Amino acid sequence: MLFQTTAEHEQLRAKIRAFAEEEIKPIAFSLDQENRFPDEAVKKLGEMGLMGIPYPKEYGGAGLDILSYAIAVEELARIDGGSGVILSAHVSLGSFPIFAYGNEEQKQKYLVPLAKGEKIAAFGLTEPNAGSDAGGTETTALDKGDYYLLNGGKIFITNAPKADTYVVFAVTTPDIGTRGISAFIVEKGWEGFEFGDHYDKLGIRSSTTAELIFNDVKVPKENLLGKEGEGFKIAMSTLDGGRIGIAAQALGIAQGAYEQALDYAKERVQFGKPIAAQQGISFKLADMATKLRCARFLVYSAAELKEAHSSYSMEAAMAKMYASDIALEVTNDAVQIFGGTGFLKGMDVERMYRDAKITTIYEGTNEIQRVVIASHIIGRMKKSSGGGGSRSAAKKPAPITGVRKGKIFKEGGAKERVEALAEALKKDGHDFTVGIPVDTPIAQAERVVSAGKGIGSRENMKLIEDLAKAAGAAIGSSRPVAETLKYVPLNRYVGMSGQKFKGNLYIACGISGAIQHLKGIKDASAIVAINKNGNAPIFKNCDYGIVGDVAEILPLLTEALGTGEKQPAPPMVKMKRPPVPKPEPIGKSYVCGGCGYEYIPEIGDEDAEIAPGTLFEKLPEDWVCPECAEGKEQFIEA
Amino acid sequence: MYCVRKVTDDLYWVGANDHRLHLFENIHPIPQGVSYNAYLLMDQETVLFDTVDWSAYRQLAENLDYLLGDRPLDWLVINHMEPDHAASVEQILLRYPDVKVISSEKAFMLMRQFGFHPDLHECITVAEGDTHCFGDHTVTFVAAPMVHWPEAMVTFDTTNGVLFAADAFGSFIALDGKLFADEVDFDRDWIDEARRYLTNIVGKYGPHIQLLLKKASGILDQIKFICPLHGPVWRENLGYFVEKYDKWSRYEPEEQGVLIAYASMYGNTESAAQALAARLCEKGCSNVAVYDVSNTHVSYLISEAFKYSHIVLASVTYNLGIYPVMHNFLMDMKALNMQNRTFALIENGSWACKSGDLMQKFIDEEMKNMTVLNDRLSIASSMGPDKSLELDALADAIIDSMKEV
Repeated sequence: MLFQTTAEHEQLRAKIRAFAEEEIKPIAFSLDQENRFPDEAVKKLGEMGLMGIPYPKEYGGAGLDILSYAIAVEELARIDGGSGVILSAHVSLGSFPIFAYGNEEQKQKYLVPLAKGEKIAAFGLTEPNAGSDAGGTETTALDKGDYYLLNGGKIFITNAPKADTYVVFAVTTPDIGTRGISAFIVEKGWEGFEFGDHYDKLGIRSSTTAELIFNDVKVPKENLLGKEGEGFKIAMSTLDGGRIGIAAQALGIAQGAYEQALDYAKERVQFGKPIAAQQGISFKLADMATKLRCARFLVYSAAELKEAHSSYSMEAAMAKMYASDIALEVTNDAVQIFGGTGFLKGMDVERMYRDAKITTIYEGTNEIQRVVIASHIIGRMKKSSGGGGSRSAAKKPAPITGVRKGKIFKEGGAKERVEALAEALKKDGHDFTVGIPVDTPIAQAERVVSAGKGIGSRENMKLIEDLAKAAGAAIGSSRPVAETLKYVPLNRYVGMSGQKFKGNLYIACGISGAIQHLKGIKDASAIVAINKNGNAPIFKNCDYGIVGDVAEILPLLTEALGTGEKQPAPPMVKMKRPPVPKPEPIGKSYVCGGCGYEYIPEIGDEDAEIAPGTLFEKLPEDWVCPECAEGKEQFIEA
Repeated sequence: MYCVRKVTDDLYWVGANDHRLHLFENIHPIPQGVSYNAYLLMDQETVLFDTVDWSAYRQLAENLDYLLGDRPLDWLVINHMEPDHAASVEQILLRYPDVKVISSEKAFMLMRQFGFHPDLHECITVAEGDTHCFGDHTVTFVAAPMVHWPEAMVTFDTTNGVLFAADAFGSFIALDGKLFADEVDFDRDWIDEARRYLTNIVGKYGPHIQLLLKKASGILDQIKFICPLHGPVWRENLGYFVEKYDKWSRYEPEEQGVLIAYASMYGNTESAAQALAARLCEKGCSNVAVYDVSNTHVSYLISEAFKYSHIVLASVTYNLGIYPVMHNFLMDMKALNMQNRTFALIENGSWACKSGDLMQKFIDEEMKNMTVLNDRLSIASSMGPDKSLELDALADAIIDSMKEV
């Protein structure tokens, strides 16, 4: 056993190396400088049949092995790290889930053009609150019968917006953590699917990276990948394979930098001989070469294990972690060998030094790789109860004010939106021909118009006063408006530490919605939010909302509610709020015939290391009742 | 003096009545007493099905002496090992040294745990579907786990159609001479105590009662007698009681109606509860039962909760918590697996009113399939006429939610 690649592998390497040196190397500097995607080169890669290397020929692929694919990424990255990740993200992140989990129709429709290189793929998992921990995914896909309604967003998505086909992960069953995540195939161009800005990155600048924004995107039922709830499994197995691609990319970047440094060290003469002949530099080169050989064996071995369908998760993590760690070291040494020259723009090693950094971060940070490796060698340790445990059981915090309608008026201009709001309030039964004095104590007020810091200068309190009169409401405020700005007396601020509002209508003007404030209005029958920041928490806690400047919206609302004299309001009748819908059980509970213990899937069985969310059917065969040790067969449906 | 009654042909009731015991299981009051039913089959071999509580052993012995005469007792079948039926097992074993014992594996284990000595006798361990012939009568054993202990089984006599039902189909109230359900006005005089017995004793194990009912439904047409371990024997209108059991064990209400349970320290919360009851009746919903949790034993509250579709809990705030007796009622409902009810809440508090939130949280988080109406009535110390509209709204919400069902 010589641990060598085959002749076919080396032929493929030669072919891709030639392509990279001829097609990419001349433009690599300008791609980097201009943050530009190599459209032409990617197109040619497709024509050469390299965009679907590891996929069967019947699906448009090249029918080669995983090692061939790793070599292709390595060779592209050897010239340009960005080009390497274009291929890696396309093949192992975007296309793999469709190949591995797609049904025949999905493969024909999506995998074939991807493998042929006619289209580009991307993978959307990361979110602001869900990176290493996919359980924090907040993008939702609501089952609407014929389709899923996708809402939310993804960040740092490689190949976006160039890619045509996106595998996107979204929550289909809330509150059960990773088991509630499903995978979908989403096409560019669908209504409501937009992109944020192309990020301006430190390195791999020829690869494009953007934000995905989903706003009521209708995803047809047939675009669900695998089954509902399998998303996390799909994501994790995809990332296992993706690590081989990133490991190969890191290896390629380091290899390129090493070769540059070796050549330079042989040319650059100091003290009368090439610096390569100086022991200090020669030792550096020896270390670099050794690290590269180590990394290469790890990467190729993981690729071969995957090809052989052996377990490769730990080995891929080791390869990714090690190759990227040494890529930083090797590119750093390369710049060092180049000296001041290497610090200049236009030098390949300068670009490679920057390109290398991302490889220790994406597709699982190297810290996460160590978690993966450690979990394989140490096993799953018992989790401490409470705090720091699995978040899959942790319930997502509900909006502080409970279940709200969350209707944000977006249609039309400011006037139309305000009129729609006034209409909605009247329809709900708020009678604006009657009113209460503006100085009614908050706790007894049926309605309150409340000012936040967003109200601006003191003159704008006139707008609040006018609106309060028109709405037949008392005046309240957020804490800073009373305490710091002193626009209203201290006994009129609403919040946990201040007055609690329990009436029927709360109109929050320029209030962002700090937790303390929201707790003070959780019993309000209706909450209206007016704020220019659409992302303010108040909008997640309101029944009706208008995103807009208070200076524009408040006078319009005042007019819409009527400026005439108000009749004194009769005693308040508290308006009903809709009942809080309860989450559906995730599966059936079962009762033990030996003692009456009930197994509830949402809770699991911590002592037996059964994770919360484990269905009874999925319990191991040797699981027994934690109370009386009867076997599974003694349980009946509750 | 012996006191026996013939059930049918060669089968006799040989149990006893108890009016001395105040608290059944040392927890549930039984003002009308209870019976411990044991049955003697005089086949070619003689068979005693279960025994009685220790306090009633002397009566059992007299009954056996009278019926057996010179004949030995050949068999003892133990369906259920709980001491109110099985405390006398050891005495029977001592009195009849050659008696052979039939029971389930777990029941034999329990006998040893209770300090009995079945192993000095021939023991036959039976499991689901096993049969045994005593001469003319052949019986089948059917496992009834968790109705209401894990070892429980019921025995069906295929010859005369008698089902020895163990704790299933039992009831509080001493028989006092009557033996059959058709000898009393069951629906008038017994149903409340039968419900209180079932819901408090076996209420938690609804799914296992359902399992037993499913097994029984296959042979329902062959069952001629139901012989429970407490209360009357059923030989007519079996469907009436089976249907009640089906409802209770599915946690479905028997009636559209409102149970109002109040916890009141000085009568102010009570006043609100009474006002609500009056509003409900005025609006046409007169199936209303009102209880003070402080002087009603919780077993009665549980029984009423199983009966009615709607439950109003009116509680004062006590030490920033739910009034302890009300809290106890909630915990008991949870322990007994109570489900599928609509709740309405009245809270009272003089400076920090917490009971409503806490009761709502308990119902939402600790109990299953419960609906809490949003129209909570909140009282500061006492309810004045200004709350009249809210009281109306609460009554309307309760009545509206009945229509939705």
